[in-house]
Amino acid sequence: MMANLKKKLSRTYQENGIWILFLLPALIMYLVFMAAPLLDSMRLSLYTGKGYTPTEFVGLQNYIDLFTNPLWKDRFFGALKNTFTFFSVHMIVQNSLGLFFATLLSADFKGRNFFRTIIFAPATLSVLVTGFLWTLILNPHWGAINQALKAVGLDSWAKPWLGDENLALITISLTSVWQWVGMPTVLFLAGLLGIPDDLIEAARVDGASGWQIFWRIKFPLLKPVIGVVAILTFVDNFNAFDVIFAMAGARGEPGYATDLLATFFYRTGIAGEHPVGIPNMGMGAAIATVTFTILMTGVLLWLYTSRKNTDYL
Amino acid sequence: MRKKLFVLLMLVSLVLTACGGSAAPEAPAADAPAADEAPAADAPAADDAAEAEEAPAAEEPVELTLGSWRVDDVEAWDAILEAFHAEYPNITVVFDPTNPLDYDATLRTQLETGTAPDLFFVRSFATGLDLYESGFVASLKDLPGLEENFTVGSLAPWATEDGEPYAVPIAAVSHGIYYNQDLFEELGLAVPETWEELMAAAQTIKDSGVTPFSNGTKDAWDINEVVMMTIIPNNIGGYEGRMEYLNGERCFNDADMVAAYTQIQDLAPYVPEDFTATSYYDSEQLFVQGVAAMMFDGSWSISAFEKDDPDFNWSVFAAPPAEGKDKYISFHMDAAIGMNPASENQEAAKVFLEWLESETFGEAFGNGVPGFFPVSKNVPELTDPVANEFLSFNQDAAGTDIRFVWEKLLASPPGTLDSYTAMNDGVIAVLKGEQTPQEAADSLQEAIAAWYEPAQNCGQ
Repeated sequence: MMANLKKKLSRTYQENGIWILFLLPALIMYLVFMAAPLLDSMRLSLYTGKGYTPTEFVGLQNYIDLFTNPLWKDRFFGALKNTFTFFSVHMIVQNSLGLFFATLLSADFKGRNFFRTIIFAPATLSVLVTGFLWTLILNPHWGAINQALKAVGLDSWAKPWLGDENLALITISLTSVWQWVGMPTVLFLAGLLGIPDDLIEAARVDGASGWQIFWRIKFPLLKPVIGVVAILTFVDNFNAFDVIFAMAGARGEPGYATDLLATFFYRTGIAGEHPVGIPNMGMGAAIATVTFTILMTGVLLWLYTSRKNTDYL
Repeated sequence: MRKKLFVLLMLVSLVLTACGGSAAPEAPAADAPAADEAPAADAPAADDAAEAEEAPAAEEPVELTLGSWRVDDVEAWDAILEAFHAEYPNITVVFDPTNPLDYDATLRTQLETGTAPDLFFVRSFATGLDLYESGFVASLKDLPGLEENFTVGSLAPWATEDGEPYAVPIAAVSHGIYYNQDLFEELGLAVPETWEELMAAAQTIKDSGVTPFSNGTKDAWDINEVVMMTIIPNNIGGYEGRMEYLNGERCFNDADMVAAYTQIQDLAPYVPEDFTATSYYDSEQLFVQGVAAMMFDGSWSISAFEKDDPDFNWSVFAAPPAEGKDKYISFHMDAAIGMNPASENQEAAKVFLEWLESETFGEAFGNGVPGFFPVSKNVPELTDPVANEFLSFNQDAAGTDIRFVWEKLLASPPGTLDSYTAMNDGVIAVLKGEQTPQEAADSLQEAIAAWYEPAQNCGQ
């Protein structure tokens, strides 16, 4: 039986070539470090108990509690809403700004390289350091923003940015947008530079204005890039944790207004509520699984719709 | 095609069986032997400890690690551990602190993966008890000297219901109101003896253009642990009062508790304008820079303020009770040191734990880290004047007590609101004017009664 197996394997190897071997290292890394822990986390969500590896099997009870128990339900849907707000601010502000900057940078002008660098530079900074620095800048007593506003006489605009329940999340989102705007800029710039000049020239010969050229020619040809940027924004921001942790802590202060799915998970499954610090990893794993399901649904939808427009991919 | 699929499936199943079932079955298995080892290790270790004191030179050099959340005190602790090393030259203890907000999560991860330090700081009551019940803290029921050197009340936060201790208490902290003495003198204010006098002083200070109190709510724990739980004992009658709430004799929304929330409401006009975005460190800076006249804070900040060295004279006074009520001080059992039952150097660790009961430690610790008061009966003379000022509160007061929610009310069953968060939310709502004191007290009673039996039939 072993001899037969060996023959089969060596024939497969010879017939199909080395592609399996090339795939193997990445596949093993993926399975061991990503797929297996993911599946194990989903398994953990069916248990309850103390510590990080709960042992009491409760089936879907964690999920039932998450969606029906008033305490869990309020926190979960609040976190979901906040995560969606966080993502929307990025989608609308960050990507529009990215497209705008990319359009400007696609023209050749003096200092273009300088602007390209400074737009992208914040993305190279550490997220935690950026968060802490911006917390200082936004500080109502010593921060540059409020001091500048007061110096100009706009005292009523000098608000407690990170302390106001209505402003805190948007403020943190805009900080994150400031940091990451370079990414869509670079992607859109690459897309714009890939548009053949003949198309633009032909349009100009036909008498199209700059505005028409942008919306009728450049934008439609950028659709695949927009798709990629959209899905990257979706996945990155539904997982966001570090910038919120740096600027508002893991408790979603003030009043759970800055609580995202990731901070909710951290507070439930890893750190525990302050000051008790006793984690509930079963429920934490349930939250993480639900987050994964949401992300998976989004990505699958995108894959399906983009398959339909496979001209450019 | 089929051959390719077959090979792929084989490889996938190989990898999955190799890594599947790794974490879960190991952890409970690790818990059981750890819990069994601890009591067995106690008996012989007690003999070893006695031997170690007599003939230290004969032992092999041992290095122990001490985990803690006191990142601010590295220098002081290095000095204390030097003093220990001088007495026991063969044992070196290395101080390895973690950021306080991450301490519990970090320690638990280390304990579950077997990389925890030999000795570590243990949080009081529910948090520490949970670690002990999970087998991560060794029992100290056979550690010599515990009963002689500590009162039952000091050992209780780190002992089971049956009185079995699992950590040696090392520090209590006190709470009070730091104040700018120069400003008080300038405005002709005396140290307030009643709450009404304090509010009048705050108004005078506000009229002179200075912010009276620097506390804010961006770090939500500050207004809860340091302000609310400091004034609660004054309103409810200290330890005896708290016992009545825990027994169900009083409801958590009775007149005294509403009075405590009302005092928070009284503070609303006197906190910084943008208090919702004022963090704990901002508050300390506001005080140190003279922008605010007073700050509710704990004795642990003495060294921070001394390092910042404000250019005015400053001291501290106890939070005064309302007219006619007795003064009680929030003197909270804060930290104890316990031993990792999976440590490889348990005898040496026990030598260290026994040394924590001595006056040498008390003196080195109490003076090295002013504001943390050693708990053993061998109380040394403390040199720091502000620390002594804090200790003097205990003399004038009718009694001392720990922070209100720490005993029995902290760890609520999953899916229920714990009392700390319920109180915290209420305090912030009252300060912002979103809830009345009665509403806040009612929400506290509702949250606790959802799971705490004595509160369900309270007041009868």
